[in-house]
Amino acid sequence: MTAIVPQTFDFPTALTRAQAGDHEAFADLVEQHEGMVYGLAFHFFGDRSRAEEVAQDAFLQLYRNLGSIESDAHLLFWLRQVTTRRCIDVQRRVKMKAVSLDDAVELRAADKWQDPLLDRRLKQLVQQLPDVQRAVVTLRYQEDLDPSEICRIVGMPVNTVKSHLHRALQALRRKLEKQS
Amino acid sequence: MNLENDLKRVLRRESPPAGFAGRVLERIEAEQTHRRPVWWRAAAASVTLGLLLGGYATHRVVEHRRGEAAKEQILTAMRIAGEKVRYAQQEVQQIGTPRP
Repeated sequence: MTAIVPQTFDFPTALTRAQAGDHEAFADLVEQHEGMVYGLAFHFFGDRSRAEEVAQDAFLQLYRNLGSIESDAHLLFWLRQVTTRRCIDVQRRVKMKAVSLDDAVELRAADKWQDPLLDRRLKQLVQQLPDVQRAVVTLRYQEDLDPSEICRIVGMPVNTVKSHLHRALQALRRKLEKQS
Repeated sequence: MNLENDLKRVLRRESPPAGFAGRVLERIEAEQTHRRPVWWRAAAASVTLGLLLGGYATHRVVEHRRGEAAKEQILTAMRIAGEKVRYAQQEVQQIGTPRP
């Protein structure tokens, strides 16, 4: 009698296919993570064209370094790290402080059940935070990361990250209370 | 008002404008067309270096030959001049001596 043993077969993931040179698989990876990468850049700069540029750069860098990516989790961490650090670098170089009001309005158009004025104001206040605080706040609330995870991405001690978060929240609360 | 909930709502992930992945792939393809492989760049560098060294060597050979020719000309000129001087000396010595 012959036993039929179900054979397990691991389908290659988009990452492994992309690493083997499959461009469509790389496009899948981009589509999988573009919301995260673009979101981090957009919340950092408050400017769509700058966010697109930085997000494209991050994926271009990913393409060049595909061989060093070990897993899907590593890919996610790598993209968050590269995007955040690139945002901070670009901001340091350009020193631009443009907040597009059109973007802010467009961003909140879907939230009809929320107070659009409050959201817009909060968005503007986040834009006014210092660069590192803004990056830390975005990683905390967009990506729902703990300070222990954020510190690995931004390359700072965990207590420094906690302090940045604390100061950012304090500043936001203070400014919101002042206005209400 | 809960600030942390508000931040989560305001700072949610954002989709880039449509066609983002396509634009990334276009940039990758453009970069690949412009970037030659490493072996190609090494070969181009070797050929350039070879041409430069060859040119320099040819230049040195031509200069050496010119130098040799100039040296030869000077020696010939000196030989001729020496003969003239010797002839003039003989003429001077013969002054005052009865000629046959």
